[in-house]
Amino acid sequence: MRAVGKLVREPLVQFLVLGGLLFAYFEWRSGGSGPGSTRISITPGLVEHLASGFAKTWQRPPTDAELKGLIDEHVREEIATREATAMGLDRDDTIIRRRLRQKMEFLVEDAVDQAPPSDAELQQWMEKHADALRAEPQVALRQVYLSTERRGASARIEAEKLLTSLRSAGPDARIDALGDASMLPRELPLGPLSEVTRAFGTEFAARIDALEPGQWSGPVESPYGLHLVLVPGRIEPAPLALADVRPLVERELLAERRRTQLQALYERLLERYTVTIEMPKEEVKTQASAAPAEGGAR
Amino acid sequence: MRHRTAAAAALSAAFAISLCGVAAWAQDDAPGPSGKKVQYSPYPEKNFPNRVYFGDTHLHTTYSTDAGMVGNTLGPDEAYRFAKGETVTSSTGLKARLARPLDFLVVADHAENLGLAPLLMAKDPGLMATDFGKALGAKVDAGDLAGAWEVWSKAKSGGKDPLAGHEDIYRTAWSRLTESAEKHNQPGQFTAFIGYEWTSAYNRCNLHRNIVFRGGKQKADTIIPFSSFDSADPEDLWKWMATYEQKTGEKLLAIPHNGNLSNGLMFDDVTLTTKKPFDRDYAERRARWEPLYETTQMKGDGETHPALSPNDEFADFETWDKGQLGPAPKTPDMIPKEYTREALKRGLAYEAKLGVNPWKFGLVGSSDSHTSLATTTEDNFFGKVSAVEPSADPIRFDEVIGGIGGKPEVYQYARQTSASGLAAVWSRENTREALWDAMARKEVYATTGTRLVVRVFGGFDFTEADLDRSNFAEEGYKRGVPMGGDLPSEAQSAKGGRGPSFLIRALRDPDGANLDRVQVVKGWLEASGKTQEKVYDVAWSGGRKPGRDGKLPPVGNTVNVQEATYTNAIGAPALQACWKDPSFDPKQRAFYYVRVLEIPTPRWTTYDAKIFGVKLPTDVPSSIQERAYTTPIWYTPGQ
Repeated sequence: MRAVGKLVREPLVQFLVLGGLLFAYFEWRSGGSGPGSTRISITPGLVEHLASGFAKTWQRPPTDAELKGLIDEHVREEIATREATAMGLDRDDTIIRRRLRQKMEFLVEDAVDQAPPSDAELQQWMEKHADALRAEPQVALRQVYLSTERRGASARIEAEKLLTSLRSAGPDARIDALGDASMLPRELPLGPLSEVTRAFGTEFAARIDALEPGQWSGPVESPYGLHLVLVPGRIEPAPLALADVRPLVERELLAERRRTQLQALYERLLERYTVTIEMPKEEVKTQASAAPAEGGAR
Repeated sequence: MRHRTAAAAALSAAFAISLCGVAAWAQDDAPGPSGKKVQYSPYPEKNFPNRVYFGDTHLHTTYSTDAGMVGNTLGPDEAYRFAKGETVTSSTGLKARLARPLDFLVVADHAENLGLAPLLMAKDPGLMATDFGKALGAKVDAGDLAGAWEVWSKAKSGGKDPLAGHEDIYRTAWSRLTESAEKHNQPGQFTAFIGYEWTSAYNRCNLHRNIVFRGGKQKADTIIPFSSFDSADPEDLWKWMATYEQKTGEKLLAIPHNGNLSNGLMFDDVTLTTKKPFDRDYAERRARWEPLYETTQMKGDGETHPALSPNDEFADFETWDKGQLGPAPKTPDMIPKEYTREALKRGLAYEAKLGVNPWKFGLVGSSDSHTSLATTTEDNFFGKVSAVEPSADPIRFDEVIGGIGGKPEVYQYARQTSASGLAAVWSRENTREALWDAMARKEVYATTGTRLVVRVFGGFDFTEADLDRSNFAEEGYKRGVPMGGDLPSEAQSAKGGRGPSFLIRALRDPDGANLDRVQVVKGWLEASGKTQEKVYDVAWSGGRKPGRDGKLPPVGNTVNVQEATYTNAIGAPALQACWKDPSFDPKQRAFYYVRVLEIPTPRWTTYDAKIFGVKLPTDVPSSIQERAYTTPIWYTPGQ
């Protein structure tokens, strides 16, 4: 009895017993074709899966010979996986360690994702980052262009004259034939201010942004010359409402939380460990940190 | 030809007339806009392309193995968000943002082992079940990225796919890419095209093509991208594209790039693998599937080469002519088979011989950036790969990008990469369908990274007066053809042999540099079968006069190299011309394209020297003249 008791405490025996149990478990779970099993069954479903994979690349079904090749390849892979597992090749494997760490971190991230932030939290985050989230104002624009390049010094005088006429004609003045022809749009429908930036440049757009709508004014300078401008309509950006930016706020808030939670987790766990670090000698260190230089794109 | 004086006179007249018109408004002055529905835009009832959209048709993310395996951690979502103007943190931790968002983007990751890096980093079970995946994973876990790279390089060097038979891995990666495109595609605001790069490196010569899908994810997900593992021959690619179109009813087009790294194979005079002279069928297929060519990008400008265009003083721009991607050096006989202008000329000769022009393509620029960041301007250049993102580290300038594995004489260094380029598309609206259709009809132009606007119409009865019409474009389409079009030869004979004239307008980038000049590049085929070319200056800034040699003097240079600044004190914000071909021969095939040059501005290396306090490299210029190349307008004599 004592001998048996001793035997039970032997790690190897424990391992074998545990292994046997696991084996039995997997046999039971998988109906006899699990990792330790010596039975490999190729089901019609699997064959279809292999064939459709082939067809996706080649845009035709595999021939019989090709299908046989696919199946042989699959069987080989299955055998290799089971044998490698049985031989313990998966132990002390950096890939598997990495995978475990990843799973661990996924648990935290899942926990974060499963506790969705409340409206109040989202609201708070949004307000904190309001400047980055706020939408642009919408403006419409009508403009008459005078080329300083062509008109020289008289451009400004002519612009003043034309402005008087435009003002008396009002916001709906016909401008098709006024000023100098160019590829610049004479009218921009109501749209984000960035549409003005796109066509006339950043500085010009800033000046348009500052204009009182409804009245002809100018001349406003752009890279191309002088412009008499009218903002027929303008819509201020709606006050930041969570409903409008919710997906973005959620994404950013969750990303921030995952980072902080993970950091907290490691800090908490670290308390349970004693970590001793011995740095390698100087020359070894240099060698180890020599970055691979190959980075060129091909 | 100069037009400013005439134009000014015409304008003064127009101005006088318009002032008369002012009085008329007062009469039928309508009530203010309040209370009534006002249609601000005059465009809804017009149906021609009225706006140019800028984008990149060639961007790599971490899903490209040669990006993801060497430090790019940003996927397609980040790439699209960046293109839309959001701030994104680069792979090396720098905050990155575009001054102005792009209008469209094609994420064109390499089909070969698509998504290998992100799947590897996520330890995708499918990938980790393969020996190849395990070998890679071991290197990555050991922190040996160069080793992982080597595992991949070796595995694929035999031309065999190390992931052959693992379609599920490809399917995972592809569907994530198509999903991202679908999510970020916002018709009317931003177009996210589905696409990928077919990376044929035949004997390490660059024969790459980017494939752009017109349609969406649903159909795209019925395939996985045809890769160079399947075949390195473009004829097989075209076959695959045809099958896709047949099966799905969708449309595809392919955009080749970097003939300058093909060692004479991009525009060779025989087919790639069978080495047969072209026949009509080949020419038809090539023209059908490859309507565009990416003529400028980071790895050199491909418009023309000084050896091909000795009389063109602007021919030597960001030239890469040492060799190929791999070690093989360039020899002079390869050059004529590598550049855009020469191919357009030789295309005319093929058309005369075969009845079809295989190289009647449109011109676009794009970035080929491998950082997920489509940066194309000199003052905001994130480099070719993540390893050379902005920093004071010498790798930023000194990394070898071309001629890898060769002798130092064939190296092309990171400092020689060009902050280029963009694809500009004339369209009515910003949707996949409208932009794709414009690409297919070639109403596009290339820029070397800036957003200057250029428009051209060719016809047989345009005059100076048409330039200043307020309905310029409407008349242009009515009485002529836009870039990418064919001059109607019947109209020519109807006009009694009168030559074509071209209406050209150019506007500088609103947030960029003034324009130096507008040129027309003509190529033609003589009766003898010889091809010719000539560059005409047609509009320019300031009061410059051509010298005795016919050359216009340079515009000058305001660049302060130390401070990396320039001013718009020289050049013009807008230029235009109505240009008539002075030596038109109705019996000769010809093409005409427009080249617009900006005034000199600091090159990105000059900005770097200023920002990081590093030494200015001596083998690249400190300032450059950014430019645009339009798609040609072709003339074919009537039968």
